[in-house]
Amino acid sequence: MRRIAILTAGLIAALSPVAATGQSMTPMRGEVRSFTDAFAVRVFPGNPYNQRIRVEVHVYDQDFQPVAARITPSAFLLAGQASRPVLVVVPFDGANERKVRICTESIPFPSEQTQIRAQICGKFFGHRRF
Amino acid sequence: MKIARAAMAAGLLAACACQTASAATGNVLFNGTITATCTITINSNGTMTVSSNLQSLSSHNAGGSAGSAQVDTTGGVSLSVDPVTTTTVPASDTTATTWTPTFATSGAQTIAETSTATALTVPGTSTVAVNLAGTKSGTNRFSAGNYQATVTLRCE
Repeated sequence: MRRIAILTAGLIAALSPVAATGQSMTPMRGEVRSFTDAFAVRVFPGNPYNQRIRVEVHVYDQDFQPVAARITPSAFLLAGQASRPVLVVVPFDGANERKVRICTESIPFPSEQTQIRAQICGKFFGHRRF
Repeated sequence: MKIARAAMAAGLLAACACQTASAATGNVLFNGTITATCTITINSNGTMTVSSNLQSLSSHNAGGSAGSAQVDTTGGVSLSVDPVTTTTVPASDTTATTWTPTFATSGAQTIAETSTATALTVPGTSTVAVNLAGTKSGTNRFSAGNYQATVTLRCE
């Protein structure tokens, strides 16, 4: 019984998400032409660590103000050395073109005095065609 | 008979020797495009200590340490730190603090300590030292308790 408890505790520890911080994302530049009132970009956040991390994707304008874009998925756990596609749909909001930053962010180590949050931002330019 | 056979063989050889090999050649082109990429790996977080006059809480102070990160890039990107917005201070600290994050790099590209966005033009691996300094002015002082701040290191 005790062995089972120890084994279970070990498994839980091994499977718990590790709050490390590190990030990569491709592509980091892009230009999209769209015939609709939104444009879509597919980015691939990557995890350079050997353990899984929690990743969040955010969209900002040129002044780093949040943009109401549809991000699928916007937050997820990413396995070590893995990357996965994230679809970002950005509305033009009536404009004919729009520049946005799509940023992949990581969750910092907890319980440390000065935490560092890694953020990789790509610059994307959407043109609207009629 | 022998002479006839020899003559026939010689004739065949001559006929074969006259034929030239007609091998076709063609070029196969390879194209590759490398777009800008950047990977940040956090090695360690930093530690701040307070100065003797209690007006500076900084990783530059004695006993403090900078945070460390590794940046792998193809170049063509820029590195920056955001103004600090997320802090935790003790309840007893009610006075304003000015937080100044800075960074410096060594390795593939050397950047002297700065707080402004700087281009990473050299491909390779650079080690980034991230520092944070909190300062109080006038008669304000840091008080006992736990302080915590988050610095965003951005590659774009």
